[in-house]
Amino acid sequence: MQDNNIQLSPDKFKIIGYTQEEANKIDRPTISYWQDAWRRLKKNPVAMAALVVLALLVVLVIVGPYIRGYDYVSMNVADKNQGSSAEYWFGTDSLGRDLFSRIWVGARASILIALVATSLKLVVGTLYGAVMAHFGGWVDELLMRVIEVINSLPNLLITILIMMVLGNNLGALLVALSITAWCNTARQTRGMIKQLKESEYVYAAEVLGASPLHIIIKHYVPNMISILLLDASTAIPSFIFTEAGLSFLGIGLTSPEISLGVLISQGQQTMDFYPSQLFYPCAVLCIIVMAFNLLGDGLRDALDPRLRK
Amino acid sequence: MLKYIARRFVEMLLTLFIIATATFFLLEAVPGDPLSQRADRLPEQSRIALYARYGLDKPVLERYLTQMNNMLHGEFGESFVYAGQTVSGLLRDRLPVSARLGIQQMLLGVTVGLLLGILAAMKARTAADYAVVGLSVLLISIPHLVFGLLLQKVFAGTLQWFPTIGWPSGSELWFGGWKYTVLPTLTGCFSYIATYARLLKTSMLDVVNQDYVLTAESKGLSRGAIIRKHILRNSFIPVMTQLPMSVAMCITGSFFIESIFSIPGIGQYYVTAVRNQDLSIVLGETVLLALLYIVVLFITDILYVVVDPRISMPGSSRR
Repeated sequence: MQDNNIQLSPDKFKIIGYTQEEANKIDRPTISYWQDAWRRLKKNPVAMAALVVLALLVVLVIVGPYIRGYDYVSMNVADKNQGSSAEYWFGTDSLGRDLFSRIWVGARASILIALVATSLKLVVGTLYGAVMAHFGGWVDELLMRVIEVINSLPNLLITILIMMVLGNNLGALLVALSITAWCNTARQTRGMIKQLKESEYVYAAEVLGASPLHIIIKHYVPNMISILLLDASTAIPSFIFTEAGLSFLGIGLTSPEISLGVLISQGQQTMDFYPSQLFYPCAVLCIIVMAFNLLGDGLRDALDPRLRK
Repeated sequence: MLKYIARRFVEMLLTLFIIATATFFLLEAVPGDPLSQRADRLPEQSRIALYARYGLDKPVLERYLTQMNNMLHGEFGESFVYAGQTVSGLLRDRLPVSARLGIQQMLLGVTVGLLLGILAAMKARTAADYAVVGLSVLLISIPHLVFGLLLQKVFAGTLQWFPTIGWPSGSELWFGGWKYTVLPTLTGCFSYIATYARLLKTSMLDVVNQDYVLTAESKGLSRGAIIRKHILRNSFIPVMTQLPMSVAMCITGSFFIESIFSIPGIGQYYVTAVRNQDLSIVLGETVLLALLYIVVLFITDILYVVVDPRISMPGSSRR
């Protein structure tokens, strides 16, 4: 049986069909992390709907105040407290100002505040956290204590005091909102970088004499963008909330400045007789926040590698 | 264990000290002083007397030391703005109001939230699941402010089922007068429902795929027993981390609700006190609320061990 003439010659082991290069070739195009994330996001109908709504909102916030041709400040006493009509889509307020135009100006302020405060939070928080993690030791200890002190004070205390000192304007509100918000980002960044710091390429960069700033910007930040993006997607709605709440209490912006919070607080004064003046700003606020929340949920699913199957 | 508690206690005192100091100097740093409104129209001599009565004529550092010393003895001092008003009086009158509101919101919100979470996890990928998820996104996206105003408008204004504003007092302070508390409680509980439903659902889905659940199933345990004994207990850890935060926030977290429904709680008063630079009141409230927060966090750390025996008390054993 064994010697049943199986002849094995070297030429039986020749590669005949394809070459070594062909075997190593990758047929499908490689896609980067971001392309993959985008592909996942596109498959999520809820997130895409939120994205469309957001795009629509951005357009409305930019051109909305001009659509009806009414100035958002000029009063028209003859037409005050009107309901929705073909002329005034969202009605008018107690001074006869077109609510449709006013809402988009207010939404513009609210969204702008949220975006700027979020960027401030991210930039300050990331740099702070990166410095903490990179230097470690007593620097870390000291900076961590600073965060603990800020965190242990009630946010409202700091916010009110800042608004008292700087006045009820946009700049003051931005400072007040972002001065406590960055702490969380800094903590997250610190934790993440403590992990990254152990990696070989950061060690290599250090050995080659790269400056700390270079390492932070070139190596740490790109690795953390997905975390920061998720942080931003939760921060934006919460800033919009806070702004509206503060303005409603009279601590944030006050009339004649316009934001959704200011409009809601004005609507509350007349809500017994003209509910539409309360309803429309509230509805727009909810739509904005919901769109950001849904997009954030979609982003989380798309970006989090642990959820990949 | 004892060593751990002692260390935590020292840390707690240190934190409180830092909070008190920071609050004091923050309020000092703001231009103006709390008495100027009352004192401006008074003649020179009475004004000096007034400032002397509250000790505001002394240098900042001396006042800081006096205040700290008094606080060590539990004396926060008298309100600068409302004569005779003290922190302890404030706590007696206003804290129960905020506490009851917070507790009612939490009891209702967390219970409903957890039940919905269990429902969503057990019926994952069915209509019930999507309904719960959709509901929680909706509830999270509607601010307290808007919810409160809409509830007030519809149920108190249009339908007149409940009073628009107010809060039970006197013998009904803790129990009774429910018609006043329904709307504020509902307003606040929605965010708890949303948070806890999502939290419990996610963590239960994690646990469901664990091997020991499979083992329990193959042993022939009933579905109810598996959920109760194996899934629920293990998926409660994230809930346990969130719960103390909610407890600590529940008293302070109702500023907007108190403002909408004109509820005489400490939240609304705190805002006024800060704006008036009413140092002793602000200091008292800040420190006491921080104390509450820290104590609650401490209790949670101990609760962890009860819920999850795998977590050992930090410092109790060295690895």
